[in-house]
Amino acid sequence: MTPATLPLWRRRLFGTPATGIVTLLLGLLLAWIAIPIIRWALVDATWMGSTREDCQAGGACWVFIRARFGQFMYGLYPVEERWRADLAGIAFVLGIAGVVFAPARLRLKAAIAMLVVLPPLGIWLLSGGFGLRHVETREWGGLMLTLFISVYASLIAIPLGILLALGRQSELRIVRLISVLFIEFWRGVPIIAVIFLASLLLPLILPGGIGIDRLARAVIGLGLVIAAYMAEAVRGGLQALPPGQREAATALGLTYWKATGLVILPQALRISLPAMTNEFIALVKNTTLVLVVSILDLLGIAQASLADPNWVGMNMEAYVFSGSIYWLICFALSRWSRHLETLGRRMHR
Amino acid sequence: MKTTISTAAAMLVMGASLASAQQLAPSPTLDAVKARGHIECGVHLGLPGFSFADDKGEWTGLDVDYCKALAAAVLGDAKKVKFTPTSVQQRWPILQSGQVDLLSRNSTITFSRNASLGLNFQGINFYEGQTFIVRKSTNAKTAADLDGASVCVAAGSTEEKNASDWFLERNLKVTITNFQKNDDAIAAYDAGRCDAYTAGVGALAGQRAKLKVPGDHIILTQPISNDPQGPVTRWGDERWQLIVRWVLNGQIAAEMLGVTSANVDEMKASSKNSEVRRLLGVEGNFGAMMGLPNDWMYNVVKQVGNYGESFERTVGMGSALKLERGQNQLWTKGGLLFTPPFQ
Repeated sequence: MTPATLPLWRRRLFGTPATGIVTLLLGLLLAWIAIPIIRWALVDATWMGSTREDCQAGGACWVFIRARFGQFMYGLYPVEERWRADLAGIAFVLGIAGVVFAPARLRLKAAIAMLVVLPPLGIWLLSGGFGLRHVETREWGGLMLTLFISVYASLIAIPLGILLALGRQSELRIVRLISVLFIEFWRGVPIIAVIFLASLLLPLILPGGIGIDRLARAVIGLGLVIAAYMAEAVRGGLQALPPGQREAATALGLTYWKATGLVILPQALRISLPAMTNEFIALVKNTTLVLVVSILDLLGIAQASLADPNWVGMNMEAYVFSGSIYWLICFALSRWSRHLETLGRRMHR
Repeated sequence: MKTTISTAAAMLVMGASLASAQQLAPSPTLDAVKARGHIECGVHLGLPGFSFADDKGEWTGLDVDYCKALAAAVLGDAKKVKFTPTSVQQRWPILQSGQVDLLSRNSTITFSRNASLGLNFQGINFYEGQTFIVRKSTNAKTAADLDGASVCVAAGSTEEKNASDWFLERNLKVTITNFQKNDDAIAAYDAGRCDAYTAGVGALAGQRAKLKVPGDHIILTQPISNDPQGPVTRWGDERWQLIVRWVLNGQIAAEMLGVTSANVDEMKASSKNSEVRRLLGVEGNFGAMMGLPNDWMYNVVKQVGNYGESFERTVGMGSALKLERGQNQLWTKGGLLFTPPFQ
């Protein structure tokens, strides 16, 4: 048989003796790495039971994750109130789905309605009041808190980022100056320093009576930093548009805001979507930095649960589990942005 | 006219409260705690046996227990305390800025911290110190028995320096084997590459539980360094400091006097020992002298237990850590725990 008649995979992997050897070596390397991991995580692992005594040596002890699953998801949130967190999550998913699947002419209205309704609804469900039992933010934690911080920080970051990007292009010098100063300041400070400042310095400076919730301080701090990064991502999109677009819109008699809202932003945001998704993924991972001020997000609760003498030494299980959840979230996000891009391209055609 | 009346009224009220409270020093912290209905306690984010959230999400541990005892003394209910986990960087600022009423967070008492941070340490609830973990089969009882042995340590750590200084000073030939990280060093010890591994008592208790066969190893009870730890308060508010100090003393005194959560009712009713009677509020009015109810220590012992009960439940034989009392034993039983008398 000549190489050309071989099946595609054989031609690619074993086309010549040299590629064949490389394939074999890489395959061996892969097996050498993967087999112990699979053995540990699946084959030798213990899934059932309730204490560490149930676990056999050598394999992963997923019993630990089972016992602590509620905490990994909700932190120290009271068990009987956890349905509220679920409900808030469902409301957000339905809200976003509603916007995505709404008919095109209603989509903008639906999006605005969701932006007005969902954030306060989420806070009400989680923190309580008006008929619901109050749950302090110190009891929030786990995956729920990671998602909360990501969503609410980006609710600050995305609108602010767009405004800053527009401000940076503004013809008014003072607006331009303020935007540039803001962006350069927040881009220049390490996120960890911002979180420290917000949680440690603010209470020392502010008079004793004024207590801003420490989670709120962390979310706002994160939101401001990400806003600066978002602004740069959006600016990329704005600069990619030919100047003729705005000139044409102005020539049609559209005001600045109408031209921006109807002509410039829809095109610019589509271009900057991949970059914005990048920033959002970075944000999801940066939420772990709140650990330095002892807010128990998914990673924080993983670390905190390692301190239980009944479970000490479960480091691998805790980190593998929380790491996979972070990976799943970020992977899903990047697929979604991929999908939006192809959708946008199709619409563009 | 109106102002004169209100000033006069205010002075009257002040006079009356001074008289009724036997000229107690003002305590803004205690007033805030009572108004709030709970104590705000800063704890460690997660340290096995000392402070951690259990499977049910309840904060547990030796340091946590102390805060519960304080709540029982001040508010009559050990559950009236809320915990703020603090990282090592934020612990002092969070106390200084008034976000917590006290820290109970395995913080070592040192001169410079006491002198320069605006903080006071109110006694010792755990005598921490660097010591060694060895295999039972080596028969070593103290660090001096380690002559000729090898010790695994993380390179460049304080522990490495302490250990090598200590052995050098005593002319003991001990091989120190360096590793990049603590985890590597303990793994090497577990694998049998060294005869001992060194760290603080509390840390070793947690590390021992991770070894392949924890029961084969013992932690030497005589440490080679001295890192006492205890609850911390802000400067100012002397009365609050007094309360924090004497609740801890009271727990130690209760153990000393044999008062436990099991027998406290009986002791209160029938003990003839006047120190027990003063401690439990049957005689004298020790609680009132601090502005607390007279049964303050009764509530502590009833709801949380004496120091020994707390120790055994959280880090001692009743826990997964199985730590010996060692220095954290009463001074009458060979340890260092001590309290001034309740007189």
